[in-house]
Amino acid sequence: MSELYTDILKNNFKGVAMSKEELSRVDEKLTLETDESRRDFLDKFSKGIFGGLIASGVVNALAPVQAKAKMDGSNLNFSEPFKPFDLPPETPGEDGILRMMRDIQRALKKPIEQRHWKMVIDLRKCVGCDACSVSCAAENKLPPGVIYRPVIQQEIGSYPNVGHVTLPRPCMHCDEPPCVPVCPAEATWKRPDGIVIVDYDQCIGCRYCLNACPYDARTFDFGMEYIDGAADAPKVFLGKEKAGKYETEASYEYEKEWKREGEESPIGNARKCHFCIPRIEKGMLPECVVTCIGRATYFGDGNDPQSLVSELIALPNAFRLKEEVGTHPSVYYIK
Amino acid sequence: MKNEIAKNKPMDRRGFLKTSALLGGSAACLGAVEKINGEGFGRDKINYPLNDAKNVIYSVCLQCHTACPIKVKIENGVAVKIDGNPYSIQNMNSPIPTSTDIEVGAKIDAGICPKGQAGIQTIYDPYRVVKVLKRDGKRGENKWKVIPFDQAVTEVVEGGKLFANIPGEENRVVEGLRQVRVLKDAKVAKAMASDAMNVGKGKMSLADFKAKHAAHLDVLIDPDQPDLGPKNNQFLMLAGRMEHGRKELAKRWQRGAYGSNNFMEHTTVCEQSHHIAYKQVTSQYVDGGKWKIVSEHMKPDFRNARFVIFFGTGFVEANFGPPIMANLVTNAVTNEGCKVAVVDPRFSKSAAKAWQWVPVRPGGDAALIYGMIRWMFENDKINKEFLVNANKAAAKKANEESWTSATHLIAYDKEGPAKKLRASDLGIGTSDQFVTTVDGKPVAVNTNDKLNPIVGDLFFKGELNGIKVKSELYMVKEYALSKSMDEWAKEAGLSVKEIVKLVREYTKYGRQAGAEMYRGPVQHTNGYFNGMAVIYLNMLVGNIDYNGGLIKGGGHYHEDGSKGGPFNLKKDVFAGKTKAFGHKITREGSYYEHSSYFQKNGYPAKRPWFPHTGNVYQEAIPSMDDAYPYGVKILMTIMGTPLLSNPAAQMSMKTILDFKKTPLYIANDVAIGETSMFADYIFPDYAIWERWGTPHVPPSAVTKMSKFRQPTIEPLTDVVSVFGEEQHIGFESMLLAFAEKLGLPGFGDDGFGKGMPFKRVEDWYLKLAANIAAGDHKGDALPQADEKEIKIFKEARRHMTSATFDFGRWAKACTDANGKSWFKETIYLLNRGARGEDFTKYTKNVENSDKILHKFGKMFNFYCEKVANTRHSYTGKKFSGISRYNPAIDYAGKEVVGSSAYPLKSITYKPITGGQARTQAVDYWLQAIMPENTIDLNTQTALEMGFKDGDMAKIVSADNPEGVWDLGPSGKKPMIGKIRTVEGLKPGVLNTSWSFGHWAYCARDIVVDGKVIKGEKSREAGICSNAALTVDSGLKNSTLEDLIGGSAVFYDSFVGLVKA
Repeated sequence: MSELYTDILKNNFKGVAMSKEELSRVDEKLTLETDESRRDFLDKFSKGIFGGLIASGVVNALAPVQAKAKMDGSNLNFSEPFKPFDLPPETPGEDGILRMMRDIQRALKKPIEQRHWKMVIDLRKCVGCDACSVSCAAENKLPPGVIYRPVIQQEIGSYPNVGHVTLPRPCMHCDEPPCVPVCPAEATWKRPDGIVIVDYDQCIGCRYCLNACPYDARTFDFGMEYIDGAADAPKVFLGKEKAGKYETEASYEYEKEWKREGEESPIGNARKCHFCIPRIEKGMLPECVVTCIGRATYFGDGNDPQSLVSELIALPNAFRLKEEVGTHPSVYYIK
Repeated sequence: MKNEIAKNKPMDRRGFLKTSALLGGSAACLGAVEKINGEGFGRDKINYPLNDAKNVIYSVCLQCHTACPIKVKIENGVAVKIDGNPYSIQNMNSPIPTSTDIEVGAKIDAGICPKGQAGIQTIYDPYRVVKVLKRDGKRGENKWKVIPFDQAVTEVVEGGKLFANIPGEENRVVEGLRQVRVLKDAKVAKAMASDAMNVGKGKMSLADFKAKHAAHLDVLIDPDQPDLGPKNNQFLMLAGRMEHGRKELAKRWQRGAYGSNNFMEHTTVCEQSHHIAYKQVTSQYVDGGKWKIVSEHMKPDFRNARFVIFFGTGFVEANFGPPIMANLVTNAVTNEGCKVAVVDPRFSKSAAKAWQWVPVRPGGDAALIYGMIRWMFENDKINKEFLVNANKAAAKKANEESWTSATHLIAYDKEGPAKKLRASDLGIGTSDQFVTTVDGKPVAVNTNDKLNPIVGDLFFKGELNGIKVKSELYMVKEYALSKSMDEWAKEAGLSVKEIVKLVREYTKYGRQAGAEMYRGPVQHTNGYFNGMAVIYLNMLVGNIDYNGGLIKGGGHYHEDGSKGGPFNLKKDVFAGKTKAFGHKITREGSYYEHSSYFQKNGYPAKRPWFPHTGNVYQEAIPSMDDAYPYGVKILMTIMGTPLLSNPAAQMSMKTILDFKKTPLYIANDVAIGETSMFADYIFPDYAIWERWGTPHVPPSAVTKMSKFRQPTIEPLTDVVSVFGEEQHIGFESMLLAFAEKLGLPGFGDDGFGKGMPFKRVEDWYLKLAANIAAGDHKGDALPQADEKEIKIFKEARRHMTSATFDFGRWAKACTDANGKSWFKETIYLLNRGARGEDFTKYTKNVENSDKILHKFGKMFNFYCEKVANTRHSYTGKKFSGISRYNPAIDYAGKEVVGSSAYPLKSITYKPITGGQARTQAVDYWLQAIMPENTIDLNTQTALEMGFKDGDMAKIVSADNPEGVWDLGPSGKKPMIGKIRTVEGLKPGVLNTSWSFGHWAYCARDIVVDGKVIKGEKSREAGICSNAALTVDSGLKNSTLEDLIGGSAVFYDSFVGLVKA
């Protein structure tokens, strides 16, 4: 079922939102020479420079223990109970968004360790519009080069028997996440509700995790801004100060407000999808779910048999990417 | 709390990257180990202000014309996130009830497409124009100076030697708006208007006219051709994207106040012929011989259809539009067993979801459809039970809502099919009754008769009272059978097998099958007829008004007050209102035979006349070039870019560069665009999210809904004073400033009547909002906002200054002539950005009826009498009343053909990330997804032509062998792009996407106030293929056109490729 997608994932990593223009900006910043693709660029870093380190015994020996320690939720503070809000009354044929919001509210009433967030992406309904990628970038104030949810696309077949395959690829929030044990700073770990997080304050930006992820779900924040390449002429045009504000307003990732200032986090960190934690905790759905114009992305508590995602995961045509690597993703696909 | 490493990390990291990775990395590891317990994580610490109603303002997108309702989230006065509006059926399959608490609504986000999301980057474009720019070099040289708004207004209104500082223009005197507005007396206009037009019609002699109006002949463009109207018409307001709300305001200004008949929009470069086909097919007969237009847009019901054919469009890109359609169709296809076929030379993302992709030859749509229709007749697959109903009563009796003219008789004269036979022609009834035959005997038909059902013969041919007649369906069948299946297939570029497979499937599902179209089939010289053929497919299966069939949609609440709202802005009576008259520069809405040109010259007309269509965008500048029917003195463009968007647009550059043909050009734009770059003045406009509007919902919305655009942030343009009021510069305040300076009626202190000022933008739009809030009948008003809602309303606007928002002032704008305030009802609307009817009405109806909730309930015409009685302005021959397949021909009748040098049929498409001209240039997120467009060729075609994937090539054509955009003083821009070889494209077709190939938008360096401002090269990526498209040999300076629907032709041109 999933071989086609594994192939596409491997061979066609065009999803990272980095134009040539932006790549050249990276060059300037890092005084490195590369005109290769973003994938090659990351490979060069991770394999060429850091590859040796990942195999080093120090990291592998220490990290899993600590990761496990955190997975029990001991450092999570959930004393304030979730405050549910009234959704419009249930009606026949209501939009799936409302049903899923009800699912979430139900899940949030349980202790954290009793829910397991899962995402289901129905590839039959994914229209390859990239709305999720852009919505995610806007929500999380992602700079050039950082993307949490690319939609990998490829034409298949030959004229006139042609197909177009789309594959949205968020972080898989694996139950056995390969990114966790390689982190030398103990900055990435799995919550009891299934979400794999990055602790920006702990992250040292070494990028082992980028290389460890079999799904290429992580990218690195080089501290760029989209308006970097524009001239600043505030006496004539809007000018960069006003133009850049939306990029530097706070982003709400994990439990904090992050401002892109100077070299502060999240600049210099590994970054990835976090299932929009602040939204979930407020009873809302992740951005990629609500913005999806094909209603192809679903989210909810996999431990709740009443939830929409539980129904979908049970379909015979549901599958996960790269089952063979044993990561046990929390993200399922339907074909 | 950060650990040591984190504190030092910038230096560490850079060092890390550049130098000793291994060492640095190890140190980092050890450091981290000591810091196991960071801060706690958890819900308690989360602050997420974006779900708070006081940080949310609902508005309406306009990154494309779908105009989806949006929820704009604001922090510190900055629009930081755009989502879909959950109160809107365009964003949610079933919207939340309008009564839903706004604090709950704030927490429910709905869908919106990527370019809707990226609107933020259009607002905050670093190169956005926020001050008035005046040309400071040659036209098109891209040299500017910033000037004060007041100075610009004075110069544009008063004219003079405005460019005396520019070499060559020292003595050029420019007429301003005041000089061009010669006719100022509304009484004179009123007295003259119909007489002037009667001279054109030959109903009044010129001598009589001159005698009667001797005192005022000087106001006319040409006293010998009074039907050209007053000199005021020489101010042309040409809008690109302008929709309801703003459009009516612009017309009020231009026609009612200034007195120029020349206001038009861009629709013919979009898909106007599709609308005209619907207008004609659904037009209703009115006693006295007129046909009334009632609908211009219908769609299949994607919720309940079991089979839908998309002709030259889809549900994922463009059309009307993805957020509402994608969601419905993917659900239908995935969960409801619906099948979809996509007829398109390009394998689109919609085709990827289809049961069958049908790679038709560009322009072969009508041939394909006539092949299908032939098969339907031959295999008895038309819905005869539906088609036999000749009037409303018969439809009612048969439990139908709508009916067709299938059985009505058409009278032939010596030229062929002429008019619909009238009962009076046979002496069996009146001249307002049509005729059908029942068992071969003629019967008078009053089509709207509710009482006497008439079931007619479908196929009648004969002679009645010496008149040769055929029934309309007979004519359609006869035409379908006029070519063999092989011949139709050949014209369609398909095999008979492919056609039969498609039609067999289409006729399997009864009324739950439908045919949909948008731009693809209609931007051809045969566009109107192609569109009509698509509608025939629906009529022949009798799907009109059925769940799963063709539907008209739920409609909207009438913002113009025409249905009893407190402010009747449809009538819009104001003191001093002028009657604008005279043929428009584009000759839209005018019969050639009703013009003094015809009286003088007969056929052929120099340029075509378009009685059945409007907004013929591509004709505006070429007509200025020919001064036909007259020259223009002042051109204003608004949110439009004709020099980029029109096919063969390069032919218009010289017109804009010529001071004789374009003495003054004012642009209203958010950027220095491809066309506004050639302007004399650029007045900044508000960005979409800073302004107002009342666009309507598409027919795929099955319940009634209105949406409302309102400012979400403080506009970023300069603040100026107009009518003594501080306000931001934008289109509306610019018009107000001109009105103030000119002393136009309908604006100022008593613009809407005594004590009702029109001095600010919201004075207009809040009245539209109040009308929506008040509803369409008594008892239809929204509830009044309560204290809590009013508080949130104010808080949500706390970032706005009084130049934009003032509670008291807004309240006043919502007070009607009787002193009744509609402000609280209006706040209720503004707090939601939309209002809609109870969606459960729809769901209940589906459970209980096979008919759709909102029904059309009228006649569909196979034969469109009005068009059939119109003559081609070149040949003088009548157009066909029924749909026909015609090969591409130009105005002079020359067929458009390829050659060995130019063998490829050129087509275009809009990816969901792009509009035709905007979005991709400035929206970085969209650039990241699609940094450039490509020249797409089928792999086999590329191989045959010696190209491989990634090669650079230049698009050339017989009309542009050099393959360049000639930008005058800014040099030439070659149409060079990267070849992309694909399987999903019909061989022999060249495909490029829109939204690339910019030469302006600050892609290149510009000079302002003598200083160079660096451009951003990424904006220049890709190509725009318009300059390679065919120049009409009969017109010589513009594109091919559909002479009935008025559409500019994008898909009938042949081009070639050379290595670059």
